Amino acid sequence: MNTEKPLLIKRLWVVSFSLLLVLLAAMFLGLSLGSSHSGIKAVFQNLLGIGPQDPMLDTIIWKIRFPRILLATLVGGTLSLGGLVFQAILKNPLAEPYILGISGGSAIGAIIGILMGLLRFPGVSLMAFSGSIGTLLLILVMSSGHTILKKDALLLSGVMVNAFCGAVIMFLVSLTQDARLHNIIFWLMGDLSMVDMPQVGILAAMLLPCFFLVFWFSNSMNLLLMGKEMAQTMGINVKAVTVTLLVATSFMVSTTVSYCGLVGFVGLVVPHLLRLLFGPDHRVLVPACVLGGGAYLVFCDVLARTLPDQGEMPAGVITAMIGAPLFIYLLKKTRR
Amino acid sequence: MAFRISHMLNYRFMVIFLLAAISLGVFVVTPSFARTVTDQLERTVTVPDEPRRIVSLAPNITEIIFALGQEHRLMGATRYSDFPPEANKLPKVGSYVHLDLEKIVALKPDLCIAIKDGNPIAVAKRLESLKIPVYAVNPKNLETIMQTVLEIGGLINAEKEADLLVQNMDLRIQKVKSLVSNVAHRPRVFFQIGVSPIVSVGTHTFIHGLIVLAGGTNLAEGSIGYPRFSREQVLALSPEVIIITSMAREAVFEQVKAEWNKWPDLPAVRNQRIFLEDSNFFDRPTPRLVDGLELLVRLIHPELFKEAE
Repeated sequence: MNTEKPLLIKRLWVVSFSLLLVLLAAMFLGLSLGSSHSGIKAVFQNLLGIGPQDPMLDTIIWKIRFPRILLATLVGGTLSLGGLVFQAILKNPLAEPYILGISGGSAIGAIIGILMGLLRFPGVSLMAFSGSIGTLLLILVMSSGHTILKKDALLLSGVMVNAFCGAVIMFLVSLTQDARLHNIIFWLMGDLSMVDMPQVGILAAMLLPCFFLVFWFSNSMNLLLMGKEMAQTMGINVKAVTVTLLVATSFMVSTTVSYCGLVGFVGLVVPHLLRLLFGPDHRVLVPACVLGGGAYLVFCDVLARTLPDQGEMPAGVITAMIGAPLFIYLLKKTRR
Repeated sequence: MAFRISHMLNYRFMVIFLLAAISLGVFVVTPSFARTVTDQLERTVTVPDEPRRIVSLAPNITEIIFALGQEHRLMGATRYSDFPPEANKLPKVGSYVHLDLEKIVALKPDLCIAIKDGNPIAVAKRLESLKIPVYAVNPKNLETIMQTVLEIGGLINAEKEADLLVQNMDLRIQKVKSLVSNVAHRPRVFFQIGVSPIVSVGTHTFIHGLIVLAGGTNLAEGSIGYPRFSREQVLALSPEVIIITSMAREAVFEQVKAEWNKWPDLPAVRNQRIFLEDSNFFDRPTPRLVDGLELLVRLIHPELFKEAE
């Protein structure tokens, strides 16, 4: 019994450190590649501060690419963590903020906020948060009859919530023809290009405390997965933990939506992959999700930036192209 | 004596000081960022005296710079900057609604020219935070297009070319005005810019202004910029002329025409006055809009030209 704690801490360090290396590698890729083709060697020279320095490359690396990879890291970590929490609390391996419609609800709130002429922070973020809480309540009300917790019913209701959110978004967009919504198509598919350093700072200040909060409750999630009664006998206030986690997750997800739109399926791909690699202990999975999810989205964003010949595509295109097939695969597997 | 020396020293010191001040002043005044101008959004922008690396953030701006013969200053342009054809060769920096910041910065521009309708304000702000001046234009009608041409001419030291260009535009516009001044009937025009759904143009568009100038009545006038119509509504308006502009060309046009031809009671169908035109003459705020205007007069008032011939 005594050896369990040190072992866990050691595992935690090993997992975190290796994923941190992966994240750093992805970040390096993110700094080196972009739509303007400046060789990797020049980037190396800039990072190490040796050789001839090009001030233009310096601007591109530190003022354009750097905020973007930080954003991708934060958003990827958030969405993966969101998936992990929803999967644990709803006891459904296919739960994910985008699939459940939480992201869609946030998007409605954010668009209303944009149309009302609110500032990105705090106005639009708050509107997005209320939108996500709205969908969350809808899901919880629907799930109160227990039937919803079965996989198919939950997924179906998620699909419906998503369809509804999509319709409301198109409704709002068609009503206004607002110039501010010109970029809406990109935004709806997850656009990481429009954020600068101060905004990343605000985002980090909102998200990092949530990361720690979720980590604080990671052992509770382990116990919750064993069943309500079990968790209660182990001294967990099931209701309080559930509500705290759901609200914190909705807050995180809605914040990322208000900054870069709908990036789907990250919360599905990353937790499943990490569970496969590191086992089901949430005390390890929570930090792993933050680091691994960050690396995953940075990598997807690199693809989104470099694959098209002209301009770039939204990062959500890549994540959906990877995530949706995996979703179908998981659905088939869990049905058996 | 002592007084005199100190006086002389003082004098020398003064001269040196003055010389230093003048040369400093020269150095302060001559760097390339020398002019502060106000753009069409009432923003103050500091622009170089002689911009040599311009990135155009919309196709119409590219077109204007080419029309002024200043294309050697252009380092990049947005996608669909396809007129004149040489513009296709410029490095592309994304589309005008979704600009690729990194590409823009990599071109090391000393001036970006932006358009209010379309370019996201966020990109303009970020470019400015990266010390790249952004001059925004906001052309709304023929007058402001001419104003825009003059302003861009002033920005890139092509005042003469701009004056000539605007004089020419003005002359042609006056010609059209005098041509249609005596027409007895202003035909009802339905200007279709979207095929499915059917979309037309409201009062606050370039095209509305052109239709009115060309002696027609815009059936879709109203406060909505680009109103949608059902087929039924169009039939009820009974247009005498239908002008279709579409990005998709001939094949689609034949379909759309066949669609309208099902209604032989429609005056436009009866008199076979359904036309397909290149949308670039009408939806880009450039000098070419005058070409569009002249085209419209011929379509709306063909009788004026028959008499002349």
